[in-house]
Amino acid sequence: MELSDANLQTLTEYLKKTLDPDPAIRRPAEKFLESVEGSQNYPLLLLTLLEKSQENVIKVCASVTFKNYIKRNWRIVEDEPNKICESDRIAIKANIVPLMLSSPEQIQKQLSDAISIIGREDFPQKWPDLLTEMVNRFQSGDFHVINGVLRTAHSLFKRYRHEFKSNELWTEIKLVLDAFALPLTNLFKATIELCSTHANDASALKVLFSSLILIAKLFYSLNFQDLPEFFEDNMETWMTNFHSLLTLDNKLLQTDDEEEAGLLELLKSQICDNAALYAQKYDEEFQPYLPRFVTAIWNLLVTTGQEMKYDLLVSNAIQFLASVCERPHYKHLFEDQNTLTSICEKVIVPNMEFRAADEEAFEDNSEEYIRRDLEGSDIDTRRRAACDLVRGLCKFFEGPVTGIFSGYVNSMLQEYAKNPSVNWKHKDAAIYLVTSLASKAQTQKHGITQANELVNLTEFFVNHIQPDLKSASVNEFPVLKADGIKYIMIFRNQVPKEQLLVSIPLLINHLQAESIVVHTYAAHALERLFTMRGTNNTTLITAAEMAPFVEVLLTNLFKALTLPGSSENEYIMKAIMRSFSLLQESIIPYIPSVITQLTQKLLAVSKNPSKPHFNHYMFESICLSIRITCKANPDAVGSFEEALFMVFTEILQNDVQEFIPYVFQVMSLLLEMHKNEIPSSYMALFPHLLQPVLWERTGNIPPLVRLLQAYLERGANTIASAAADKIPGLLGVFQKLIASKANDHQGFYLLNSIIEHMPPESVDQYRKQIFILLFQRLQNSKTTKFIKSFLVFINLYCIKYGALALQEIFDSIQPKMFGMVLEKIIIPEIQKVSGQVEKKICAVGITKILTECPPMMDTEYTKLWTPLLQALIGLFELPEDDTIPDEEHFIDIEDTPGYQTAFSQLAFAGKKEHDPVGQMVNNPRIHLAQSLHKLSTACPGRVPSMLSTSLNAEALQYLQGYLQAASVTLL
Amino acid sequence: MPVVHEHSERMRKFKNKGKDAAALRRQRAEVSIELRKAKKDEQILKRRSISFSLMDRSVSLGEEKSNENIQLSLEEIVEAVNGSNRELQLQATQATRRMLSRHKDPPINQIIELGIIPRLVEFLTHADNASLQFEAAWALTNIASGTSDHTKVVVEGGAIPAFISLLSSPHMHISEQSVWALGNIAGDGPLYRDALINCNVIPPLLALVSPVTPVGFLRNVTWTLSNLCRNKNPYPPLDAVKKMLPVLICLVQHGDKDIISDSCWAISYLTDGSNDRIQIVVDTGILPRMVELMTSPELVIMTPALRAVGNVVTGTDEQTQAAIDAGVLAVLPRLLRHAKPTIQKEAAWTLSNIAAGPSQQIQQLITCGLLPPLVELLDKGDFKAQKEAVWAVANFTTGGTVEQVVELVQSGVLKPLLNLLLAKDSKTILVILDTISNLFLAAEKLGETERLCLLVEELDGLEKIEALQIHDNNMVYRAALNIIEKYFSGEENPDLQPGTGQDGLYDFSVEKQDFNF
Repeated sequence: MELSDANLQTLTEYLKKTLDPDPAIRRPAEKFLESVEGSQNYPLLLLTLLEKSQENVIKVCASVTFKNYIKRNWRIVEDEPNKICESDRIAIKANIVPLMLSSPEQIQKQLSDAISIIGREDFPQKWPDLLTEMVNRFQSGDFHVINGVLRTAHSLFKRYRHEFKSNELWTEIKLVLDAFALPLTNLFKATIELCSTHANDASALKVLFSSLILIAKLFYSLNFQDLPEFFEDNMETWMTNFHSLLTLDNKLLQTDDEEEAGLLELLKSQICDNAALYAQKYDEEFQPYLPRFVTAIWNLLVTTGQEMKYDLLVSNAIQFLASVCERPHYKHLFEDQNTLTSICEKVIVPNMEFRAADEEAFEDNSEEYIRRDLEGSDIDTRRRAACDLVRGLCKFFEGPVTGIFSGYVNSMLQEYAKNPSVNWKHKDAAIYLVTSLASKAQTQKHGITQANELVNLTEFFVNHIQPDLKSASVNEFPVLKADGIKYIMIFRNQVPKEQLLVSIPLLINHLQAESIVVHTYAAHALERLFTMRGTNNTTLITAAEMAPFVEVLLTNLFKALTLPGSSENEYIMKAIMRSFSLLQESIIPYIPSVITQLTQKLLAVSKNPSKPHFNHYMFESICLSIRITCKANPDAVGSFEEALFMVFTEILQNDVQEFIPYVFQVMSLLLEMHKNEIPSSYMALFPHLLQPVLWERTGNIPPLVRLLQAYLERGANTIASAAADKIPGLLGVFQKLIASKANDHQGFYLLNSIIEHMPPESVDQYRKQIFILLFQRLQNSKTTKFIKSFLVFINLYCIKYGALALQEIFDSIQPKMFGMVLEKIIIPEIQKVSGQVEKKICAVGITKILTECPPMMDTEYTKLWTPLLQALIGLFELPEDDTIPDEEHFIDIEDTPGYQTAFSQLAFAGKKEHDPVGQMVNNPRIHLAQSLHKLSTACPGRVPSMLSTSLNAEALQYLQGYLQAASVTLL
Repeated sequence: MPVVHEHSERMRKFKNKGKDAAALRRQRAEVSIELRKAKKDEQILKRRSISFSLMDRSVSLGEEKSNENIQLSLEEIVEAVNGSNRELQLQATQATRRMLSRHKDPPINQIIELGIIPRLVEFLTHADNASLQFEAAWALTNIASGTSDHTKVVVEGGAIPAFISLLSSPHMHISEQSVWALGNIAGDGPLYRDALINCNVIPPLLALVSPVTPVGFLRNVTWTLSNLCRNKNPYPPLDAVKKMLPVLICLVQHGDKDIISDSCWAISYLTDGSNDRIQIVVDTGILPRMVELMTSPELVIMTPALRAVGNVVTGTDEQTQAAIDAGVLAVLPRLLRHAKPTIQKEAAWTLSNIAAGPSQQIQQLITCGLLPPLVELLDKGDFKAQKEAVWAVANFTTGGTVEQVVELVQSGVLKPLLNLLLAKDSKTILVILDTISNLFLAAEKLGETERLCLLVEELDGLEKIEALQIHDNNMVYRAALNIIEKYFSGEENPDLQPGTGQDGLYDFSVEKQDFNF
């Protein structure tokens, strides 16, 4: 493309089209631009347009397109063609800085981004004059230009804040420091001078303060990796000025906006960060300045208002104090009783107050409020910062701080008592203060785990929390109600059980509160109380203690789901699940109504599943209903099927992907409840379960395998007789699974069930094929997981069909195959098998090979007999071998595409461990002894001689132990 | 810094394959790039002689007092130096020396530009004029004390052989001045150091060490020797090292603190290298003395002694054991608690390399009570020292047995370690995250994963790790994500195990394990 007017015109047309709302016009234009972007001069045409176009919209569009072009193409990837020709690269680098600086702000931003992308690749080696070019502009006196330079520098240097130290990085930083540090310092000083000359000129001040913010940010980046010599030498200049900026105020810079932070706030906030950086990393050098900063920041806090725009500044400032007050050598700065009192009174208490913005969130944005308040995503909030400062101060001054605050708590409670409807916020602050003072360590699972012993939590609970919750109206003072419920929740391990029991009906009552926060907290608190552990690994609160409340609890929980804003409230659903699990059979009388409500809910949410946690707990609750009911009355399974199958069919037909894995799990649970032959309704579904489309989704595989296993357990004979034509399809599924390193164990689960349950004649014709497949996989991509599953399978096969059959089928595939598998796989790898049942299967299988397989005694396989026995004894006695070869370490479930739709396993649909040799063999060691004894009776003399010639001494000793325990001797 | 992290990353995977503990050891950081000010507690490379009193007294005996005040212009100096009047030569050389000995801003460049350096070197050979020799030697010493370019002019003027032969001058003050000049030349770097060694500087230098050598003189000799041991890339030749070592061993036994200090510095340079270099030093049996000197109340002695021992434990397990046998573990606690941050840092670095050893050495570290000071340092130390302490913990958790790791956790390491996740240093954060993974591996073996999870959460570690999931550094955020996914995301599953599992219905089936693969 030439740099011609015609081309500029064409490009303008296409750029214009890319802004068209109609995709039919927009898309082709975008495609066109993409198709020409490889041409020489394309970027230069864009630069020309963004500078010279008559239309502003085209200028902006060209600048955005240019930046995206740079982003996509500038990097030179090894072994890939260079996507921008060298002359264009040179021209871009030569022009972009002046162009950026002379552009209006909107375009300047795009170009500045482009420069930093280029800089990331080319700076410093391939763009040696960039720094000088930038620094020279500092002299211009034009702060529009200077800010452009500073912004670009910031985007180039900010990576110093997170990259690892390396020679390459430090060489670059050194280069930057040499060229940039002094001019930056001079600019800093000059800018501050100008601020005082222009102290009365609002618009000038704004520009100057923008510069100061950028300069302060650059300071942070340049000082991040280590303290540069230059900045150490010039610490006086920087810190003195930073300090005075912290204390500076100018009415002209104050903004009316209550939410958005102004320039003054942003600058002070960055200065707090800079001071914190020095305090943390360069304490030795910074020590002389630190006390001044502590005082300045503390004064700043005392004088800063409650508006949201100050939030970041205030929380940064408080965090600075919190980090400093914990250091032993700065302890003295806080020690004085007046200082402590003043910090508590003027910094901590005001920042704990419930603000208008909090109240708004409480009412209108309760989800966000709950997340912040309950789940601790409050890291940057004022309350949180204040709370951290309390904890920091408590490290050295727990006694005095607790004393000071007790006074405040009392006076705030008194204020509240005078006129609750006006002063309720005082009580809220009091509760918050007590909470932050008392909690030294906390977890989601247990609430507070370490409390300040100077605070009497139970007394406060009885005197100030319970009365609120006992009040007649659940809707009065909702914030205080939420505070009270939260108090129970987090101090549940500190408050005695009898108090918790008193609270339970109160909490159940508050499930009816209109406020989303209140009824959500009530549900959450109940759920947490129900998971507390008592003695002997039982729950602290027992089903018996809950007996009087079962009906009202269930009624209120389900009613809460009908309250506005809570139709898919995960906390409530989780509380339902937990209540079922705790109450067990006492919920049976309510099941008909419960299951109706759950299925209706299921039907409703399956239209548009949006709350994964809610859905998960809903399915868990369904599973619990089934389990609990059918345990008492197995015949009830039919009524569940009746209630659920209609919804399930709809979910399957509409292919609601999120729910399908759950449906399979619930179906498995239901099918396993059947005691007799498989019902025909299930058999009708069987062919559909083998549909490849279902197996393409990773999340379906575990529950589908589980379901097919249930089919095989309950209906193997029916499948063999009525669906024999589906057996190849079933084995096809096995083949699909075995081909994948991630899913092969699932394939083996299926195969094991087939071998265990299917009548032998029904799979006879496929057996050889199965082994061939397995051997192929063994040959091509052996993994430890595969070998473990393979070993279990062949031993299960051996148990089911006999050792001789195993040997025959192996050797029929390839001569001497059996010996090879013994020697190369079983003997060296058997130790890797893990799991009790799996080990038992292998032990019994190998015992059979040793004692019930004639070729082991009279062919060349005989030489493997003792090594095999030794391996078996090793399996019994040696610790599991869990070494994994190197390359396999990296195979991960994430390597399977589409794992995103992850399988969510339902705990309450859990399957019992199945032991196929359970009946047959109780103690595999004794079983080995007995089998050897039988073998030695059949061929006297052979066994002892084989043992004495090559079994090692230790193994022999173990073996003798088994023989003794079995009271047999070898002949 | 070597790529230790990658090593420890690999170590974990190869855990059962026998450890290569040496891979964990971190040599003294090889930074060719420094952003910081040159360290104040490093030994001085070059020194200028500005002290009048001592030196002048020894020479003024044969001089007229009035000579001292003669002021000459630069032109007069050039003329006199190049002239043949011996009186004027001496006056001019002396005037030059005096200018160069000025307390502030000696005019080294101007003197060099006069072009008189070769002439001054020539004066060194005037054995019949001791005063001239001495003044020239002094002037040249001070020129050589400048930048590399300054030293270069002196060397290229042919000063090396001249000074070496002056070592054997019958006049002690000339010999001493030559020692000083040679020290400055050696201090310039490996190139001139080896040039000196090749000119056979060592035998005459060592010959100056005797029981009757005055202390001041001996200090200079020791300092010059230390510069001959100094610098890497390349190291000083082995046979030179072997010649100097026996003398250095004697010097560390001296009673003078400067002599001990400089000889310790020399030992620290000789140990700052590959394992075979370390071995030569270890073989001399000097370690017990070094460890003793680590407890010296004099910072100038403690600092290099600590560095030397710190270097030794970067070596093989056997070399580290030699340091342990010499008692290093008994003196480290005091140093870890030292008021000076650099001492804390060096001590922690030393400890980190001992912790990189086999579990027996880790056990000795525990037995000698190193865990409490280590935890204190992590909690309250200077940031530089905290960083090293983090490495010590990381190495400990990589090489320690499960029981040892339990002991580490019981000593309270977790809280300060997790607090340091707020450190403003990506590498430190990553090392901590790796350490946390190691702790979880140990917990898994004990079936205590759940408890560790709770502990981490209680100590506010969980929210810090969660926050790191949005860290700008890729490796950091991935490591954080990994821990969260592996140990904290199944939040519900352990939860879902009901307390009401009497009937066994709620047992997890075997396949559950495998899903997690």
